[in-house]
This record gives sequence, structure tokens and C-alpha cells, in this order.
Amino acid sequence: LTHLDSSTTIPTPETARDLWLHHESTTHSLAQTLTEHLRLILAPTLATKLRGDFRTGKRLNLKRIIPYIASGYRRDKIWLRRSQPSKRAYQIMIALDDSRSMAESGTANLALKTLALIARALAMLEVGEVAVVCFGDDVKVAHEFDKPFTSDAGAEVFGQFSFQQQRTDVKRLVERSLELFQDARMNGQGRGEELWQLMLIVSDGICDSHEEIQRLVRMSQEQRIMIVFIVVDATAGQSLEQDSAEAEAKGIGQDTKEKQSILDLQSVDITTEGKVVRWRYMDRFPFRWYLVVRDVAELPGVLATALRQWFAEVVDAAG
Amino acid sequence: MNTAADGLQTKVQIKLTTRHADIELPEDPGVLLVSTSVRRYGLSSLVNSLLQTPKPTPFEFLINGQFLRTSIDDFLTANGISAESTLTIEYTRALIPPKHVASL
Ligand SMILES: [Mg+2]
Repeated sequence: LTHLDSSTTIPTPETARDLWLHHESTTHSLAQTLTEHLRLILAPTLATKLRGDFRTGKRLNLKRIIPYIASGYRRDKIWLRRSQPSKRAYQIMIALDDSRSMAESGTANLALKTLALIARALAMLEVGEVAVVCFGDDVKVAHEFDKPFTSDAGAEVFGQFSFQQQRTDVKRLVERSLELFQDARMNGQGRGEELWQLMLIVSDGICDSHEEIQRLVRMSQEQRIMIVFIVVDATAGQSLEQDSAEAEAKGIGQDTKEKQSILDLQSVDITTEGKVVRWRYMDRFPFRWYLVVRDVAELPGVLATALRQWFAEVVDAAG
Repeated sequence: MNTAADGLQTKVQIKLTTRHADIELPEDPGVLLVSTSVRRYGLSSLVNSLLQTPKPTPFEFLINGQFLRTSIDDFLTANGISAESTLTIEYTRALIPPKHVASL
């Protein structure tokens, strides 16, 4: 057991930089794979809705009829057309869990590696803006949307994680992210393009306030913000052993006691009368789109599958 | 740490152990996620449910060798332990005061 007054904090800039460069180089080919997957998925495939205003077209735009008559039939762009798929711009936020359970379960290093992989893949893809936020007790922006995600930026982001925060407030994270996305939509580049917003949460998945989170997840869906929860699983044994040197360098405690997968974790509810109800934690996980990752090598495939399914659903909904 | 407002919702991972072979759990449930508002009585109900005892037995609980006399939440605060840690909780049969036994 560890105590609150732990002095382990933020890594030095040199340590953060070394760790970033290490993860960046070891995940390089995986990042390329992910970039290729994403290129196919994120490219515009939706035939856009009918839009105005054209001199000829498929259907009349009723809003334009009265001005058309009033203008003496001169303002004649009164037709709607199904135009080419418009160029899409993306704002993608990666939220990394900085809480202490990440260090205790030994998932912090896998989480950093995941962050490096995704951030590099997105930067290579050049589909839009990438932000990184750090959450635990509170939410802090570690990299802003309007800055390019370079290698230096990566090192700087790594320098802001200590995995020592004393709470995992996912509810606050989602609330704050909705605000950040709203601001980003107002300030974002690529006006006139179709803007899509995507959030990737990287965490060990242990959080509370599930009902309130579910409500916020629904709200984000209504605002067309997709949230994918990437659970880095504690049973990521082998890959962690390889990385134990890096972990030590960063001061992330590694213990050797056997790890339990989040898939086996049980939640228990005990009423004041002493009635006990148990269920598999993941059966009531508040995020609809989640992946459980034990090895970064799995990530390009599973993340692509989740995004593909989501886009398929959005196309369905758009009818 | 502002846990006052939603303290009821805070969860902690626990691992149950015992030194007494006769009250060992028939099946290891692994790590369990429980509310930090739970007290001795609630944990006792949990162990009874895991033991599938026909007649409930009262249990006492120790965390780091200290008896749990409050909610887990208060215990963590008093001992400077974070709810981000997995707690190992040892259980043992409660010593029933003689008066209580007589009244049964
Ligand atoms: Mg945590």
C-alpha cells in the first residue's frame, strides 16, 4: 500500500524525452499500420445531404422560392443538389488517465506507449487537430488542438504525467471534454469543412459514477462527439516485462504480484440490509464503444474495427 | 480531493484474505470493486454471501493489521491511503460477547 504523501512526481524533461523517443521508435511501424487503416476509415465516404443553392438541380429549395419571386425571378439559385462528399476535418482528443491506479496496476507504461502510437499515427495522417488531456482528480490540457503534434510536443506531453493523482474522475473528464470540444468547434481550422470530433480515452478502466457518465456519453453522442474508451489491461504481462527498464526510469512502480484482467473484475453492491449483488464489472461499463488492449500490437486492428462500426452506424442514421 | 459531494459513489478495489482454513472462500472471487461507504456489517454480508453459509456468521475485518471500525472511506482518510490502491482486507470470525450469545 502506498501513501498519499508520495514524493514521486513529474519526470524530468530529459526522462520524459527519452521515454517518448523510445516509445515513438518502438511503435513506429504499428503507427504506420494504424495510419493506413485510419486513412481508409476517416476519408469522406458519406454522400452529403441535398444542399443549395444551384441554378439547376434535383429538388426545389422551398426557402428560396419567395425571395426568387420577390427579386423579379433574378435570384434563381433555387435548386438543391446532392453534392460531392465534402472534405472532412477532424478534431481528435486523446485523454490519458493520470491516476495512481495506473501506476499501481502497472498499466501506466502501456498507456504511454498507446498514446505515442495513436498521436504519431494521427499526426502522419494529417486529418486535423490533435489534443491531449491528462485526467485524474482534475482535467488538464497537455496539448492543445491548435498546435502541431511534433516529436517535441510528444516529449512535452509525456513530461506532464506522473500517475499519482488520487482520484479517477471520468465524469469530470467527459463534462470538461464536451466544453473543450465546443470551444474547439468555434475556433477550429477548416471552416466550411465537415467537422467531426472524436475522443479516445486511454485508462485502466476503473471508475465510478457510472450512471452519470452514461448520461454524459449520450449527451456527447447527440453532439456528434464519438468517444472510444481504450482499456489498457493489467494482464499485459510480457510486454510490461520488456519495458520494465523504461518504467523504472520513469519511476513507475512495477510489482510482480499476479495481475487480474479487468474482464474478471467483479463489482459488488451491498445494501444497508446486507443484500449482496455481484456482477462482472465490464457488463455495465458506461461506455458503449470500448476496447480492451493488452499489447499495443493489437491496437491498430481493434481501434480500426471500432471506428469502422461507428461510422457505419452514423451512415445508417443519416439514412 | 473533493470527495464529499460524491463520496457515496467512490469505489475501491479489495482483495479478501483469511488465515483460517475453515473460513476460506470456496472459490476465489479475485479483486472486487466495492463502495468505500461500506462498513464491517456490509463486508460481513459479503463474506457470508461468498461462503454461501446457510446461517450468517459475523466477521471482523483488518486492513494493514488494524480493525475496521468505520466506513472504508473514513479508514482510508484516517490512514492516508488512496482509494486508487487495491486494499487487502483480512477477515476473521467476530468474537461474540458472552451476553450476546446468552441472548440467542
Ligand atoms: Mg484510477
